[in-house]
Amino acid sequence: MNPQRRRVAITGMGAVSPYGEGADPLWQGLRDGIGAIGPLRHPASAQVRIKMAAQVPESFDPSCQFAENVLPLLDRTSQFALLAAREAITQAGLDFTANDLGRRTAVVIGTGVGGEGTRDEQSRRIYAEGSVRMHPLTIVRMMPNAPACQISMAYGLRGPAFGVVGACASSNHALAQAALLIRAGLADVAIAGGTEACFTLSGLRAWEAMRVLSDETCRPFSSNRRGLVLGEGAGVFVLEAMEHAQARGAVTLAELAGVGMTADAGDIAAPDPAGAAAAMAQALEDADLSAADVDYINAHGTGTRANDPSETQAIHRAFGGHARKLMVSSTKSMHGHALGASGALELIAVLGALREDTVPPTANLDEADPACDLDYVPNTARKKHVRAALSNSFAFGGLNAVLALKRA
Amino acid sequence: MNAVPIDEPIRDRIVAVIARQVNLEPAALHPEATLKSLGIASLDAIELIFDLEEHFDITFPEDSADFNTDTVQHLIDAVEQALANRPGETGAAA
Repeated sequence: MNPQRRRVAITGMGAVSPYGEGADPLWQGLRDGIGAIGPLRHPASAQVRIKMAAQVPESFDPSCQFAENVLPLLDRTSQFALLAAREAITQAGLDFTANDLGRRTAVVIGTGVGGEGTRDEQSRRIYAEGSVRMHPLTIVRMMPNAPACQISMAYGLRGPAFGVVGACASSNHALAQAALLIRAGLADVAIAGGTEACFTLSGLRAWEAMRVLSDETCRPFSSNRRGLVLGEGAGVFVLEAMEHAQARGAVTLAELAGVGMTADAGDIAAPDPAGAAAAMAQALEDADLSAADVDYINAHGTGTRANDPSETQAIHRAFGGHARKLMVSSTKSMHGHALGASGALELIAVLGALREDTVPPTANLDEADPACDLDYVPNTARKKHVRAALSNSFAFGGLNAVLALKRA
Repeated sequence: MNAVPIDEPIRDRIVAVIARQVNLEPAALHPEATLKSLGIASLDAIELIFDLEEHFDITFPEDSADFNTDTVQHLIDAVEQALANRPGETGAAA
């Protein structure tokens, strides 16, 4: 690592998740091994084969959170992202008007599909109801950069701002881009994370057709696993140049020490352990960590037939003999797979592990699989010192994005 | 599986759908050939399921196929089972 390189601190976190609003309820649920997967709530739930989902609670009411004149501009993805950003920024205690900090602040938000709810609702008007006109705010609501733009506008953040798409690795790609902007000196602060809200009928049908959904719960690394369970939500973080955070006396939650990004350049759907292993190795090198320095990996761990053995092989490849000493858990077993938001929700789990020396478990792991032979911290959290951790996200398209975190 | 004798035209139609997917002559598809040996994996597999569902207007159960071990005959049996289970059907597919 270049000794002159700027280090990146995380000084705020926020979330909207199936546990409700807030990073704390999410972390506490994961730490306590309490799942948020339940029966699918959807007007078409009787028609679709999917029966289980990890949805933001029904009590979520955007009209209580946003002004009447702002709400029509916000797809559910932007609502989630704005609320998570508000929490993270409040925690970080930043004043963007002081010293014109807004000019030096970036916003980078990942999403898998963007404003899917808006697209679905407006398509229904055209195709099903025969309407000749769409809502005039359709475009600005559904564009995948909308969540980043809404955060930028809400706080007067005038540095680089954009959306990032990398399917299920979108959050980690976004967090990596934000860290690189800070390192490059293009921003001192970045608001970064991911958001997703795609429980639409067409979205559900499309996932059904992929045949990767579980018809019950999510059981990563368990031989009786039956696929992934769809989720939704947002996780947003304040990243800050370490010297900037230290100069203002901010509390650092953890250091985002390294990033690794690779593409399999192979199959559009089937994962290749070589690509995932290369991303993990790159993240370690970028963070100036050796394999033996890492205690915990928050796995991509979708609970599909294809992912779990492939990810296990990738961890063996990247960590060699240390692989068996690692704790590896998939919190998707509890918060579901929030697609473009999943890496951000999982970063909350990693920050919790680093700060409380408690590794959240892989829930629903009740049958060993010979093809999955690591320590997956089954079913109960483990109190153990965590010096450094990786957070894995892999995506359709063969995209791999890994974050390396060090304790503050 | 189905006790009713196999209806040849249905079988031919299933084989034709599979043959089109793998770009082979229907005659070259032996019932005992595994789908894996025919190079059907990953996305090809779910496309094939979609093609069969569309062609016969059926819905396969979520875990109806394992493309590592299943043969062409497995798929024929699965389609016939789905046809037999279709609402309003009394026996094997017509």
